Amino acid sequence: MLIYTFRRLAEMILTLFIIATATFFLLAAVPGDPISDRVEKLPTQIRHNMYAKYGLNKPLLQRYVITMKGLAVGNFGESIIYPGQTVQSILHDKLPASARLGIQQMVLGITIGLGLGIIAAMKKNTWIDYSIITAAILLISIPHLIFGLLLQKMFAGNLGWFPVIGWPKGKDLWTGGWEYTILPTLTGCFAYIASYTRLLKTSMLDVVNQDYILTAESKGISKARVVLKHVLRNSMIPIITNLPMSIAMCITGSFFIERIFSIPGIGMYYVTSVNGRDLPLIMGQTVIISAIYVTVIFITDVLYTIVDPRIQIQGGRK
Amino acid sequence: MLWIQECANEGGITITQLLEVTNLSVSYHTYAGEVQSVRGISFDVKEGETLAIVGESGCGKSVTARSIMGLIKPPIGEIKLSSEIRYRGKNILTFTSKEWAYYRGGESSIIFQDALTALNPTMTIGDQITENIFAHEKISKKAAVERATGLLEQVGIPDASKKLKSYPHQLSGGMRQRVMIAIAFACNPKLLIADEPTTALDVTIQAQILDMIRSLQVKKNTSVMLITHDLGIVANIASRVIIMYSGRIVERGSSDDIFYHPKHPYTIALLRAIPKLTDKSKEKLYSIEGRPPDLLDPPKGCPFAARCPYCMNVCVEANPESFDFGLGHTASCWLHHSQAPKVEWSI
Ligand SMILES: Nc1ncnc2c1ncn2[C@@H]1O[C@H](COP(=O)(O)OP(=O)(O)OP(=O)(O)O)[C@@H](O)[C@H]1O
Ligand code: SF4
Ligand SMILES: [Mg+2]
Repeated sequence: MLIYTFRRLAEMILTLFIIATATFFLLAAVPGDPISDRVEKLPTQIRHNMYAKYGLNKPLLQRYVITMKGLAVGNFGESIIYPGQTVQSILHDKLPASARLGIQQMVLGITIGLGLGIIAAMKKNTWIDYSIITAAILLISIPHLIFGLLLQKMFAGNLGWFPVIGWPKGKDLWTGGWEYTILPTLTGCFAYIASYTRLLKTSMLDVVNQDYILTAESKGISKARVVLKHVLRNSMIPIITNLPMSIAMCITGSFFIERIFSIPGIGMYYVTSVNGRDLPLIMGQTVIISAIYVTVIFITDVLYTIVDPRIQIQGGRK
Repeated sequence: MLWIQECANEGGITITQLLEVTNLSVSYHTYAGEVQSVRGISFDVKEGETLAIVGESGCGKSVTARSIMGLIKPPIGEIKLSSEIRYRGKNILTFTSKEWAYYRGGESSIIFQDALTALNPTMTIGDQITENIFAHEKISKKAAVERATGLLEQVGIPDASKKLKSYPHQLSGGMRQRVMIAIAFACNPKLLIADEPTTALDVTIQAQILDMIRSLQVKKNTSVMLITHDLGIVANIASRVIIMYSGRIVERGSSDDIFYHPKHPYTIALLRAIPKLTDKSKEKLYSIEGRPPDLLDPPKGCPFAARCPYCMNVCVEANPESFDFGLGHTASCWLHHSQAPKVEWSI
């Protein structure tokens, strides 16, 4: 296990290195540069100073080495469009809100989704199953944006149950100010509810038809035990497979939600940094998000081996 | 359960009929239509005996077995209302869920053909055995584990206490089937249904597994319903044999009746298909030509008519009645009608 973890860690670092390199050269290949857009009217001397400040006057390879060295020690450099702020300080300030929103969405959405999936599978071909699945399909086809606006108007605007916008700060950053987080979390979590409900139902119906379920039933154990001990665990593989996708969805999806509810998250910075070609900020965010993603894939692989003993820790199926 | 004791003590007479199946009809509703898998069969299983059910693939053996274990699931599977399956006098088709819980795994159990698919891949074999015990007895965890170890030893698994922690994929095919047997016998059932328990195994292991079932059966006085498509393995094991064809019973009798005095052309064909030790391996094995009828639309006459060398006009028109040859030997074939021509056959 220890050797495996080390090997995977090395692989993850290599993956991040490749992603960072690719991002760097792709950005460099795009014509123009971030400074010229915004400082066209400034005297030449100031312009040169600015190029020098961000190291943009150096040859490409040298810039690459400097950037990578910085990444290795967690120093992403100074933002270009937000002068005076380092990338790490932006991440430090903005990442927690996004992370909390993402975690709340996924935990709530996946829990409810799995619960509804079990119910739909057990009540197969009844009106309960049909209504759950119909609702899931409807929910999955409504975009975040519309959904968020609707919730905001109804529960914050008309009914006034929740604040319209905002996000907990300071000591409430992680565990307080729930009233602010409810609507954004709901907005995001419906997509998870919808996809996990359908995923688990399909998977369970597949497992229910297996011979070992007949064996379990022929033992005289309760129906609940058959589902909990035999059906559910064997239905989890597709769920785990879907986790990294959900994380990716969560990262890209949060942008709209953060916009609608004015949440000081990273989503807005991601878009503005790309528009403004803020090289250090793009690099920093790409590396952080990639790091989260490869970690999730690692966790996923470990989860596989826990759920299914036939899958070996080396990563190969037996 | 009260009713079981009541039945057993009824007027001081010991009841020897453990299971009585009467007019069992089972259909599956598929997109193509209604598959009439089992079409009105009746038989019984006596206490302590081994009854073999033989027939080729698709004739309804497994569906019969599943019906007895309550594993036919509506709305796709349907047991027709006229059917009865009496266990110790009580119709299991009207069981409450409590009665099912008592009966399944405790009074009756089943072994499936392929232990790899019949064992839960994500549960240790120890848990799969003790689960059955916990379902029927108030017993401590430790005692259950001890009992499971003992069971594994009884079915010939070396290093039993260690093997309890294994998963099915870590065992060989023969070992897995032994685990299935251990699960099936865990609560000393009165009725064991073995649905092709050796079909998926090597010939050498087949004999070991059958011996194993046999010795446990004798030790625990269990009735065994042995389902197979191979009449050859039945001879030394079963006291009585039922021959099924296309969802019906076409012949039944004692082992001797079936092997030495077969009365149905299908039984004779099956007997010819058994490889003989005297045969040179190069000689082609006799096999029955053609296929069984489509159960979506079974013929109104004898189901074997299309393949039967003795087929007469009446065979296509009407389903043969059952002719009685005494001592429980019956066959459903028009050849035994008084007006039918006499035919001679050799096996
Ligand atoms: N779940 C099901 N859905 C639809 N049809 C089924 C189902 N199970 C069985 N059948 C049909 O019922 C008929 C009898 O099947 P059964 O499994 O009892 O055959 P069998 O005698 O056990 O054959 P085998 O030797 O192949 O195990 C077959 O025609 C089969 O197609
Ligand atoms: S009834 Fe006719 S077709 Fe059927 S087995 Fe007898 S002889 Fe053959
Ligand atoms: Mg079968």
